[in-house]
Amino acid sequence: MLETVLAILQNTLRSATPIILAAMGGQFTEHAGIMNIGMDGIMLMGSFFAVLASYYLASAALGVLAAILIGLLMGILFGVLVIRFRSDEFIIGVALNIFAGGVTVFLLRTIFGVAGAFADPAIKALPYVSLDFLNDVPFIGPLLNNNSILVYVSWLLVLICWIAVYKTPFGLRLRASGEHPESLRSAGVNPNKLKYISSMLCGMLCGLAGAHLALGYLTQFSEGMSSSRGFIAFACIIFGRANPPKVFLASLLFGFMDALALRLQFVGISSNLSGMMPYIMTVLMMVYVVVTDNARKSRTLKLNAG
Amino acid sequence: MFKRMSPAGAERARHSLSLAIGVLAAFALGAVIILATGHNPLEAYGALLKGSFGSLRAIGNTGAKTVTLCLTGLAMAVAARAGMFNVGGEGQLYLGAIASSMVGVWLRGCSAWIVIPCAILAAVLAGGFYAFIPAVLKAKLKVNEVITTIMLNSAAILFCSYLVNGPFKTSESGIAAGTDALLPEYRLAKLIPLSNLTTSIFIAAGLAFIVWYMMRKSVTGYEMQLTGQNERFARYMGIKTDRLAIISMIVSGALCALVGMFEVYGLHGRFIEEVSNEFYFDGMLVAMIMRYQPVGIMLMSVFFAAIEVGSASMELAAGVSSELVSIIQSIIIFFMAAETGVRAIITDRNARKALIACAVSDAADGGESNA
Repeated sequence: MLETVLAILQNTLRSATPIILAAMGGQFTEHAGIMNIGMDGIMLMGSFFAVLASYYLASAALGVLAAILIGLLMGILFGVLVIRFRSDEFIIGVALNIFAGGVTVFLLRTIFGVAGAFADPAIKALPYVSLDFLNDVPFIGPLLNNNSILVYVSWLLVLICWIAVYKTPFGLRLRASGEHPESLRSAGVNPNKLKYISSMLCGMLCGLAGAHLALGYLTQFSEGMSSSRGFIAFACIIFGRANPPKVFLASLLFGFMDALALRLQFVGISSNLSGMMPYIMTVLMMVYVVVTDNARKSRTLKLNAG
Repeated sequence: MFKRMSPAGAERARHSLSLAIGVLAAFALGAVIILATGHNPLEAYGALLKGSFGSLRAIGNTGAKTVTLCLTGLAMAVAARAGMFNVGGEGQLYLGAIASSMVGVWLRGCSAWIVIPCAILAAVLAGGFYAFIPAVLKAKLKVNEVITTIMLNSAAILFCSYLVNGPFKTSESGIAAGTDALLPEYRLAKLIPLSNLTTSIFIAAGLAFIVWYMMRKSVTGYEMQLTGQNERFARYMGIKTDRLAIISMIVSGALCALVGMFEVYGLHGRFIEEVSNEFYFDGMLVAMIMRYQPVGIMLMSVFFAAIEVGSASMELAAGVSSELVSIIQSIIIFFMAAETGVRAIITDRNARKALIACAVSDAADGGESNA
């Protein structure tokens, strides 16, 4: 029993990590008032370029770097089209996803000459972190120990993002650029500059999320391997009201559903059926957050009226 | 340049120019990519053209693909016009496909005149209902429909996989995952032998006309447009915006579901797990490129269908991966966005210059009169 719980929690951490990484990027754009639904495509690009660099340069670190760089480029592309050229963010986001799907499959077939998936021993995986002192701690030890390095990075990022958004002048300006761009402009700061920065940060972190998908546990690239995780990250951002620690918890909740779905396969429930759980859960999460929001709003209205 | 035309005409001309530039630039970039991978762009594009219109069979396949793109594009447009972004067409298509397929299996033995209408009805109900869920959540609770529809896509595809690997699995051997085959007499008749073109094109043409009429000529369509453009204004005008938005989503879902039904009754003869290969997303691209204009979508889907069908020949003849086509298709939007954006910036700059020039000359006039 305890072992089952442990296995589920371990898988929770694994499943949640790419979501956390992408969602930490997405909360920046969310604060800047941009809806970036291209996150899924950026993750996919990150995965592919991580594998590409890791394979040819024989270094997982360079793979991660390549993923972050391609994410940055995609973030800039998105930013230029949406902020400078004032295009519809929904249309550009959708096009970005289709573009990423096309590019990665095209390159997969052209460079590696395979269709479907590319796995090779020459792809260097990211290292696991193992801390000796944790081995003696029951339950918590095995849970927190021996995870891929980006799992720990993602936790650190939650803290960094929270400080950056809520405790620094940058964060204040970032939030103002989304909520009151005019007041920011009157203070002599160009809100578009912050929107650009947010878009670039979002791209880089989504690229990092892609690197984790491709080099974290599986070390391979397969077509469409982001499998809507970018959208789930978006839902987690909404659920956590773009507040990093809350977004983190929302991502863990999703990871838990994913891990539970995986576990249910072992007791004879169809993997297709249990696989639906995380997606339906996300829909319910979206409904819950809106309903509680509305309730809060009407309560405030009543208070104001009284 | 566009000054002498009516505002709507000028807008359309501007869009056509932007579209032409986008398509040309995308194909030029595609040629660069082909060159970079060590192939001949002319040879590749030649093969592309030949593969899409080079023979009767090729034309038939292009026609069949046009049906899919046109209906999915119109589905996107109907909802988007009323301010609803239906990204869930893929799931609605899957449910329509499996529902219609099972009607054919359950009614096995009945006349085709009973089965086909029942299959259409089943598809419409399944797709319409599946679009109704996110629609009602959006209209009544303001739950972001983009996310819910995407999530429902994944859920529907997994659910269909479950059904055809479990309760609805065919007993035939050699079929990986699919429902029982439909009787041959239920299949839609082929118009061109060996091609995918079936009588579904007539149904699709009728549907396209109805959608066009609804969007452009009917009061409902006008009210939908008002709702999409300015929901609050539409509400003050006495339009029931919630109801319209929900109806538009149901129509959208039903259209997608019918595409699924056509795939089953026209092409595969049964529901299979790979009934759609992200067809809806191609349709979305078409709709977005044509800014949700029904006639434009119909024309553009012929073009998109041609390059998609031709891409397989391009891969065979010139060795260029067919995925290049989806890169080209998505890049068209980026170039169009850039072109429109640059023009807007130039217009802004000119306006600002004119304003400054005005202010300067005013100041000069003022100075003279004072003196």
